Amino acid sequence: MVDYRLKLAKRMLFNKKGSLIGAVLAVTIGILVLHVNFVIFQGLYDAFIRDLTEYSYGDILVTDESNLIEKSDTILINWFSRIPDVQAAAPRFSSNGEINITKSGGMIETNRVPLLGVDPIQDIQASTAHKTVAEGSYVFSQNSIVLGSSIVRDLGGVRVGDSIEVGVVNRWGQDEVRRFIVSGIAATPGGQGLDYSAVVHIDTLRDMLDRKGYTSSIMVKLHDPTKAESVRDLFLASFPNDDFVAETIEESAEQQLAGFRSGIAMINMIGYFGMMSSAFAIVTIQMMLVNGKTKEIGIMRSIGARRKDILVIFIMQGILIGFIGAAAGTGAGLAYTFYAKETKLTFNNSIPLEVTFNWPQITQTALTAFGLAVLASLYPSFRATRLLPVEAMRYV
Amino acid sequence: MSKVLDIRGLTKIYGKEKANQVTALSNVSFSINQGEFALVVGSSGSGKSTLLNMIGLLDKPTHGTIYVDGTDTSKLNDGQISSFRNKKVGFVFQFSNLLSDLTVLENVMLPIQMAGTSKSREKAAELLGAVGLRDQMKQRADRISGGQAQRAAIARGLANQPALVLADEPTGNLDSVTSKSVVKLMKSMCSTLGQTFVVVTHDQEDFGDVDRIIQMKDGKAYETMVRGVRA
Ligand SMILES: Nc1ncnc2c1ncn2[C@@H]1O[C@H](COP(=O)(O)OP(=O)(O)OP(=O)(O)O)[C@@H](O)[C@H]1O
Ligand SMILES: [Mg+2]
Repeated sequence: MVDYRLKLAKRMLFNKKGSLIGAVLAVTIGILVLHVNFVIFQGLYDAFIRDLTEYSYGDILVTDESNLIEKSDTILINWFSRIPDVQAAAPRFSSNGEINITKSGGMIETNRVPLLGVDPIQDIQASTAHKTVAEGSYVFSQNSIVLGSSIVRDLGGVRVGDSIEVGVVNRWGQDEVRRFIVSGIAATPGGQGLDYSAVVHIDTLRDMLDRKGYTSSIMVKLHDPTKAESVRDLFLASFPNDDFVAETIEESAEQQLAGFRSGIAMINMIGYFGMMSSAFAIVTIQMMLVNGKTKEIGIMRSIGARRKDILVIFIMQGILIGFIGAAAGTGAGLAYTFYAKETKLTFNNSIPLEVTFNWPQITQTALTAFGLAVLASLYPSFRATRLLPVEAMRYV
Repeated sequence: MSKVLDIRGLTKIYGKEKANQVTALSNVSFSINQGEFALVVGSSGSGKSTLLNMIGLLDKPTHGTIYVDGTDTSKLNDGQISSFRNKKVGFVFQFSNLLSDLTVLENVMLPIQMAGTSKSREKAAELLGAVGLRDQMKQRADRISGGQAQRAAIARGLANQPALVLADEPTGNLDSVTSKSVVKLMKSMCSTLGQTFVVVTHDQEDFGDVDRIIQMKDGKAYETMVRGVRA
């Protein structure tokens, strides 16, 4: 048999649909806001990490304290290929230069273009940069080049198969110009990929700069990204005499991510403040409920309800509000998250969000909202116990 | 014959400041025996409701003592007072007796459940049958007539077989026909169950012969009739 207090708590609450819906909505919306914030902002953050990892930094990025790695990239790649946690590793060489194209209208030139030299075979295993090629194909030969969509725009439009000139200043300070055939054009939503770069064969770029055997970085992709730190440490321990720098994505992209992280923390804090105002809404609504039940409280007291029983009845209402609100809010939040994940929701129609279900955080949000609702009911419940039975009878 | 209610020197003064104090009860003393049907009469403002509230421990007296079933009620703490209201007295008020969120049956079950006694449903149903509400048991309490509500309130008042049933103008809100039937119900509950009643009323005639009449006047009590004999 249900305790009479629970029955009364339920009936009094459910017979006041307006108050019930108001209080439950306050909790629901508080939770939903946090879920939506999480999907969008954490999703954006994770999307940035994902893209930076995929296109530029890998799970681990090996560089050298003095700008360029002198050790043979073959030795390093072979070393990584023997580590079980490593999926693939690829060398890259970065520089910059100018690009020009001659068309019927004359020559168009663009300066200080980031040039990225890749190994066509290894790069497609360690990075998904090749997948950003929207038209044509990735770099496949010594004289093919992939242009980012932004550079294509700067050059007034380039098509696959067009011939262009790339100029660099080599290590001796001399201009070095080569002719390339555009093999592909790269574009990513949000411009996180190679949209602002030009990609060529790593050996061509080394040759142009007269840096045979040198490497700017080794991008390492792991089967399980959570192993990044142990693989990094193993690598550094294995090459103690070289001045290598090996960093996980969090370390290498720290500058881009730090501000973002504090932004997320701030948005979450605002979300929690929103939840607090939900709690105040519950206090108000429950005060209204208590005031509307003055007569009933008097009757209950006159037939033997203790102050404690009255307290329990109204706290039970808080628990009911908290429970229903937390369930509805979490349900709605999960539905939204599911929708975002299934539809590959994008931020401002550009970067696709990296949507995850963060169960610890979902649980914490639900419990916090529930706890706040119960907490919010304490004061109105206490006020209900202070009503004197004889005062209560006065109201007809 | 045992005294179920014994009041000695009961005084109630409302208001803290001297200037606007109201002496609602002034040195009231009387007693009522087990199984009696007692009326409290008197003009408006004479202190009838105040007296009943004191007896039912809904409010505390300024001076004096009230013994119910031999217990000095001034010695009870908050928890004991609740339990006393639950087990020793049954209330019937003029208005708003029932909890509108519950059914008639659930209202009558409530004091039994609070007392922690088993078979609350069966007992409540039996009482409702006795007051003629067998067919209204499952109705929501705010969906029945005024007379039916007072019958239900009487059933609830009797639920824990209290020492006293206290009724404050139980028929004050009813038409004369309904009013007479409610009076009849109370008197029959008194005679068949031996249940003691203390009833405040403005319509003394409706009650016919009673065991005792307490006449209130300006906060003072006068017994005008004891055991059917005019004092
Ligand atoms: N809470 C209170 N504070 C101040 N004065 C009060 C309070 N309750 C009652 N009184 C006063 O005490 C006196 C007795 O009131 P009480 O309600 O007992 O009268 P009553 O005989 O029941 O009247 P009625 O027949 O109108 O119900 C009145 O003068 C009333 O104004
Ligand atoms: Mg009165």
